[in-house]
Amino acid sequence: MTMVSVSSDNFQPVATDSPVKVDIRNLDFFYGDSRALKNINLGLAPNRVTAFIGPSGCGKSTLLRVLNRMYDLYPNQRAAGEVLLDGRNILDPQVDINLLRARVGMVFQKPTPFPMTIYDNISFGIKLYEKLPKSELDDRVETALKGAALWKEVKDKLGASGLSLSGGQQQRLCIARTVAIRPEVILFDEPCSALDPISTAKIEELIDELKTQYTIAIVTHNMQQAARVSDFTAFMYLGDLIEFGETSHMFTSPEKRETQDYITGRFG
Amino acid sequence: MNAIYSSRKRTNLIIRALCFGAAAFGLSFLGLILFTLFWNGLAGLGLSVFTQMTPPPGSNSGGLANALAGSLVITIIGVAIGAPLGMLAGTYLAEYGRHEKLTTVIRFINDILLSAPSIVIGLFVYVAIVLPMGGFSGFAGSLALAVIVIPVVVRTTEDMLLLVPNPLREAAAALGMPRSLVIKRVAYRAARAGLITGILLATARVAGETAPLLFTALNNQFWNLDMTGTVANLPVTINNFVQSPYEFWRQLAWTGALIITLSVLALNIVARVLGRERNTQ
Repeated sequence: MTMVSVSSDNFQPVATDSPVKVDIRNLDFFYGDSRALKNINLGLAPNRVTAFIGPSGCGKSTLLRVLNRMYDLYPNQRAAGEVLLDGRNILDPQVDINLLRARVGMVFQKPTPFPMTIYDNISFGIKLYEKLPKSELDDRVETALKGAALWKEVKDKLGASGLSLSGGQQQRLCIARTVAIRPEVILFDEPCSALDPISTAKIEELIDELKTQYTIAIVTHNMQQAARVSDFTAFMYLGDLIEFGETSHMFTSPEKRETQDYITGRFG
Repeated sequence: MNAIYSSRKRTNLIIRALCFGAAAFGLSFLGLILFTLFWNGLAGLGLSVFTQMTPPPGSNSGGLANALAGSLVITIIGVAIGAPLGMLAGTYLAEYGRHEKLTTVIRFINDILLSAPSIVIGLFVYVAIVLPMGGFSGFAGSLALAVIVIPVVVRTTEDMLLLVPNPLREAAAALGMPRSLVIKRVAYRAARAGLITGILLATARVAGETAPLLFTALNNQFWNLDMTGTVANLPVTINNFVQSPYEFWRQLAWTGALIITLSVLALNIVARVLGRERNTQ
């Protein structure tokens, strides 16, 4: 397992004016009348992993679901402010949400394989936006499965149902499916909370590899996981962004008292 | 053993006996019906039932071929009209309109339609179709059956789609899949066994309906599959024959009833098997 390889990377601390992939500005979010996010400002650095931590109900999953406008599926949920993806505001009603979601992929808490074969689980998403000859499609499926470290386990049973895999394999299948359509940003919403430690380790390794190509945001309840996989950490509490900074710094000398209390397990 | 516990045990024993008695009482009628049908119907069951036409008055030879074929066609057309409409409406309730106020209203009205007496539906089609068209027709019969099929399929479609976990829809949407494809390729697929079961059960429900056909398809003594005219069908034939003075007709009525019951039983078994497959997936 790659332990906190973060600090040894040649990364540069992101200053306020440096380029960011996703720029969240003055973001508020409402479930009906209740305000779940309060004036959030932060940026996701390209090719870096940003972790969101905080106690249940702090708004970290809500924030993630704004970034691909997943909340749009439900009435009475509304975001205000700006979220710039490469400078374009994705909250603009004119943005096509399907094209947006093809650029900003998401992996969920529970594995959600579609009720079809392993091959179709991957090829389905690709075929939504690209018309490829069979051989090329085969290549894309193979690449995606290799990218999700699942190829060796499933290469002889691509025709089997996606539901026949184990929980950890299903979650990697979902990552493969997300990677296959070549998004730019990948959002992980507690991807390991339903998995055993071995599967968790595999997924964490995977996230570390994926960041060379993608911008990654991950919500996690596991402090050690945040420390292991992320370059930046955002600590949220009751809808506020309390502190945001480099993970190595956050976990050793946090600026705010609340952050320190949460990280050391004194509350939350 | 203390007093509270032993009195609780006694109550349990009494309630258990009552439950068992009630179940046995209810099931005994099903057993009696099946037994009577086999007892009286089996005697007339032969190849001629399936090959010969319904007999004219006084005749001692004939079968149910025209009534069987007519019933089959009327039922298939009725389900073919009602099932797609019901599925589309159920899809609206479960998917597009899930959070709308209108959905509650539609569901309530659908439940009323679900329990509407079938003779009322027969009369409705009689007034709406048969009178303006100037006569009874097999097509009117199919329409009456379709009106019965629709609320059943609306209900099962909605229930089955609501069983599809929401994260599955979110996962599909997260790939940039438009709503229509999420429903067609993911939700329908996940609920497939349940959807088919619903349609089979609706088919079984209408296969034996008599009242709606009395006012619509009527009956026909001869072979006719022209849906614009009266078409012979099993339920109305049974209804007519069982009231007749001829022994042979009454025998045919028993045999027809046995055939309908066995077909409905078969449909229910298929639906059950499909349902079980869904649960073990």
